Amino acid sequence: MAPSLNDDSPPSTIDEAFTENNLQPFFVLQKGPSRKSDRKSSGTGRTRRFDLSSASPKNSANIEDEKEDENMNLRMEAFEFVWSKIESTIKDVLRVINTNVFSEIQTWVHQSFDTIRSLGTPEFPEATQSFPIITDANSKRLFTGLVLTKNMEFVDDLLTFEELGKHLKYQGCHVANLSSLDFTAKNGVGGCLRSLLRQFLMSSLDPADISILASWYREENCNNPVVVIIDDIERCCGSVLSDFILMLSEWVIKIPVILIMGVATTLDAPRNILPSNALRCLCPFEFTLGTPAERMDAVVEAVLVKPCSGFIIGHKIACTQHFYTEPLSVILLEFASEEDNLVFEIERHGLSPEVIWKHVFEFPSCQRVKLNKLTSESLAHAFSELKRLQNQWRAVVLCLYVTGKGEKVRLLDLFCEAIDPESYNQGEFDTNMKAEKDPVLSSSQIKGHVICKAVRLVRDLSTAQLGKLLKMWENLTVGIPEINGKVKELLSLLNVEDGKSSKKDLTVTPRRHTSRIQLNIEKDSKSLSDKAANLIECMVRDYMHPTECIPFHEIFCFKDVDKLQLALIGDPRRGIQVDLLEFQKLLCCRCCTSSSNALLPSMHDTSIMYKLAQEHGDLINLHDWYQSFKSIVLCPNSKRKPRQSPLPKKRKGIKEAESQSEASIQARFCRAVTELQITGLLRMPSKRRPDFAQRVAFGL
Amino acid sequence: MATEESPQVTRRATRSYSASNTAIESTNLPESYKPTINDLGFRQQPLRLEDLLSSFPGRRSQILELLRLLGPLNSPMFPILVYGGPSTGKTSVTLQVFRHLNRPFIYSSCITCYSPRILFESILNQLLFHRKDSGHSYSSVKRCERPSDFVNYLREALENVLTNLKGNSGKVSSKMSGRPDGTMVYLVFDNLERIRDWDKSSTILPFLFNLNDILKMPEVGLIFISNTSPDTYYLNIGYVEPIPLYFPDYTEDDLRHIFMANQTNSRLYASFLDVVLRPFCRVTRQVDELAAAFSSLFKKYSEPLSDKEVAPNEEMKRRLFSHIRPHIASALNETFQVRSQPLLKAETNEETKKTNSSRMLGIREDFDKIDFHMSTSAKYLLISAFLASRNPATLDASLFDSTGVSDSRKRKRKASEKSMDQKEMAEQELLMKGPGTFPLERLLAIFQCITSLAEDSLDEEESHELTVEGGSRGLMSDVLLQLSSLCNANFIIKGGSCPLEGSTRYRTAVSEDLALKVARSLKFPLSKYLYRR
Repeated sequence: MAPSLNDDSPPSTIDEAFTENNLQPFFVLQKGPSRKSDRKSSGTGRTRRFDLSSASPKNSANIEDEKEDENMNLRMEAFEFVWSKIESTIKDVLRVINTNVFSEIQTWVHQSFDTIRSLGTPEFPEATQSFPIITDANSKRLFTGLVLTKNMEFVDDLLTFEELGKHLKYQGCHVANLSSLDFTAKNGVGGCLRSLLRQFLMSSLDPADISILASWYREENCNNPVVVIIDDIERCCGSVLSDFILMLSEWVIKIPVILIMGVATTLDAPRNILPSNALRCLCPFEFTLGTPAERMDAVVEAVLVKPCSGFIIGHKIACTQHFYTEPLSVILLEFASEEDNLVFEIERHGLSPEVIWKHVFEFPSCQRVKLNKLTSESLAHAFSELKRLQNQWRAVVLCLYVTGKGEKVRLLDLFCEAIDPESYNQGEFDTNMKAEKDPVLSSSQIKGHVICKAVRLVRDLSTAQLGKLLKMWENLTVGIPEINGKVKELLSLLNVEDGKSSKKDLTVTPRRHTSRIQLNIEKDSKSLSDKAANLIECMVRDYMHPTECIPFHEIFCFKDVDKLQLALIGDPRRGIQVDLLEFQKLLCCRCCTSSSNALLPSMHDTSIMYKLAQEHGDLINLHDWYQSFKSIVLCPNSKRKPRQSPLPKKRKGIKEAESQSEASIQARFCRAVTELQITGLLRMPSKRRPDFAQRVAFGL
Repeated sequence: MATEESPQVTRRATRSYSASNTAIESTNLPESYKPTINDLGFRQQPLRLEDLLSSFPGRRSQILELLRLLGPLNSPMFPILVYGGPSTGKTSVTLQVFRHLNRPFIYSSCITCYSPRILFESILNQLLFHRKDSGHSYSSVKRCERPSDFVNYLREALENVLTNLKGNSGKVSSKMSGRPDGTMVYLVFDNLERIRDWDKSSTILPFLFNLNDILKMPEVGLIFISNTSPDTYYLNIGYVEPIPLYFPDYTEDDLRHIFMANQTNSRLYASFLDVVLRPFCRVTRQVDELAAAFSSLFKKYSEPLSDKEVAPNEEMKRRLFSHIRPHIASALNETFQVRSQPLLKAETNEETKKTNSSRMLGIREDFDKIDFHMSTSAKYLLISAFLASRNPATLDASLFDSTGVSDSRKRKRKASEKSMDQKEMAEQELLMKGPGTFPLERLLAIFQCITSLAEDSLDEEESHELTVEGGSRGLMSDVLLQLSSLCNANFIIKGGSCPLEGSTRYRTAVSEDLALKVARSLKFPLSKYLYRR
């Protein structure tokens, strides 16, 4: 365990013992108990995967552990509930974000289908004949939708295209989803046709021929467009894709195919990949999906800011770790299900108030805020207070977001700033606000402060915009009467102002007065927006308590960022190397003592091999390696085998056993080498140097 | 009902199917179409010669020549190779000539038939009047992969068809019944140049050219259509070379005639062509390219007009010309025009308006923003790949080693004539070679250098991230992932392995523009590190 954990969150001694005992079966790659002693804390990161189904192995029989187990089960239950909620919310958000573009694409598909049909609807014999129907030069063009995903990682959008396919299918189109794997040079154009036929005809046919598709289309009632979706054209083999396009363009009147292609980078991508004769066949249209930033904002809003799960870091690993280490996290279940009578529920879960208090007093936040009474009522009160404060915080953050939305204020930045307890505690925010009013200050100081930016934006708004904004605020703050009242007040003021100004506009005024009145109106609106700005400033100051400043926040706030970071970065190769070299710490077997450095035959083969490989340079002679491996495996008595003299020892050994086990040793050797190659520590011998394997990893 | 039928028809059934063929179709597929001998013709009203000639402006001599080579009814012919640039009317003319003559022919395009098997089977299917349908699970009439099998089947099928044709020509006047004339069958092979890319091109091409001799049937005529000239095919293996028939590119006048056909407002379109045709002809004479460009340009041209039917006068023409002129230049350079949906565009316009309406500091940044998302380390990696590709490897030390930078720059001597020449030669050579390749190690080294430099100059969050905990070790594992996704996006191309070192080499395909944009988004002084020759 990283030492930082002890500082931040309060694992009790029981808890620590528990984790030490029971962590091991959960590791994919096991971790030694004393590992922290010889390694820096920076290197301990490893993705922990907990096998939730077998979540409670009972190693020790004492009662406390049993209790812990029970608690653990509850926690895991809570985890699953919370996580499933988060997951479904994210999915919903992503779906909603795409609906606009999807319906856009769908109308375009139907439009282009109509255009194709207007060129002529061939009869059955015509549609299946081999020679093309030529009407005019434009009739060979293929309608193509280029969907810009705005994200270099095409992997993120695989699901999007699947959804798009489903959406179009639901609207009655024939849809086939192709990926770049269908457009490889190896399979040629036959490969993509085959997968196309497989998806449309539900059967695989040996010579994949497009005329089959034509007859199939005629046999279906040919009133629906055929949509072919290609996920990522950047990865497609250009020549195959262009063959495919040329072929489709020959048949476009007979089979009204509409292509939809995902473009991860820029519109230049098709230009770079396809030759001009294929490009000529395309009649491209452009669609844009939401950028990753927009999606992120939407997810942040739905999962973190809005009450979704009550949890603050929406990452699965964080979530798991939190539930694993935090005894009180069961309460989240109640938070998520939004019930008020918290305490009774908790008691139902088998946590007595005393236990809760014991845990609670270990929270640093509660030591700061002194609570006197240890009753369940006060506990309930504390929790409801917690909830109330959080709601306030939410409302203010959303207000700020709405303010800055048009001006590229990103919710993520806003969120980061809003949950930062330091700026709140130090009152830094207030000073910045003052600095804001002083225009002389350099912009670099202000740049990072998104909240200030949003507040400044309020000042610049015109009356109409202000009205809109205030209405939005009003909606957002419905649950919080204090803020809502103020917003309403301001809104009514604005309405009065509006009425006045419109009246003024209507009345015929002498010309010399108009300028002054205009000036007045401007001044009025100025003062109004100032008022609004003051309001939001005071909202930020008074109601936006960062979560970490609220007592009990440890229940739902995961703060051990270092751990999360380590888990995310991962350092697999290093980990594997360490585990191979210091396997005793993991296996804890009796046969190999960790104290001696000698290589013993009882050790794991791969481990022996890797240790032996340490003695070589970047090239390892396979024969030498094998010989030394063999000598170690064969001689159980020798302590440390000198590598220079493996042969005499071997002769000394039992001859029959040697000849008999020769094959098995070779097999073990081969397996170990393969394992090393799979783990990426070794490169297999090349054709040029068949006797040498190449070491890839050096040092840790 | 067709789908119900299909599972019952097994493979074996399809193989021995020719006997039961008619039975299945007549009973189970009432709506299915049974092809007859009529399908070998064009199946439309035959064209008169005048109509044929007038529908193809500028192709008069070619049509007459083709008619002459095909000869009168029932006369044997030599193979013909029709060739010429893309979009010069080869296929259309050939097909319409057959429509005019109303003779039976078999057409197969080598684009659609992308392998010998499909080519053979498609020809046999047509000759044996076979349609693929769900009734026999879309199988071909015969399985045929080898040329020798093909010849046997083809001969069989042709004899069958010929007797059919002969029998029918005796009976009724063919014009009335829609049956094709004569007792010749013509095989048309379109897009012959594609065969050269096939695996078995070395055997298939001579085989096709030789088909006439192999079949020894005077009733079969062969016509090849190709984009490339005959020189690219003949291998001197001793077969009768087909008679070449060249389709030259259209002249400007021909193009005018072509585009003037079927225009509703011919006067307006004529004035439009006056403006655009000449500049475009200098760029391309391919009808399909021009048609695509003109259709959108004409929309712009007639935009200011309220009444599209009006015949323009001189003054109006001038006005329209000044309106269209800026669009012509841009359209000339653009072969691939991407249109976006009007609805979507309106939305984005609104958004941009919104941003413009208020005063924001960030607007300036919009111009040089890359319009897709990339992670910071991917950006740095792309820049380092760009540098590795552009700069010679020998310069790396002086560029990235802080001690070596200044003095290498100062040492500039006046170059002699000879060295100048040499330099120019080297420059041109580099231009021809394109961006250089580099091994992974060099890329990572440069990446390390520029990320550490960025730490010094920038106090941004990303540079902090890079230094988190023990240098960039944490980052490195991610870097290889980023590299693979850059490869996926075609920004970095993974080349073959170097014969000397045995390791994979990479190169970048990004333009300097994009690299500069990326650098700007990181505030990285890319131009300082680019070696200018």
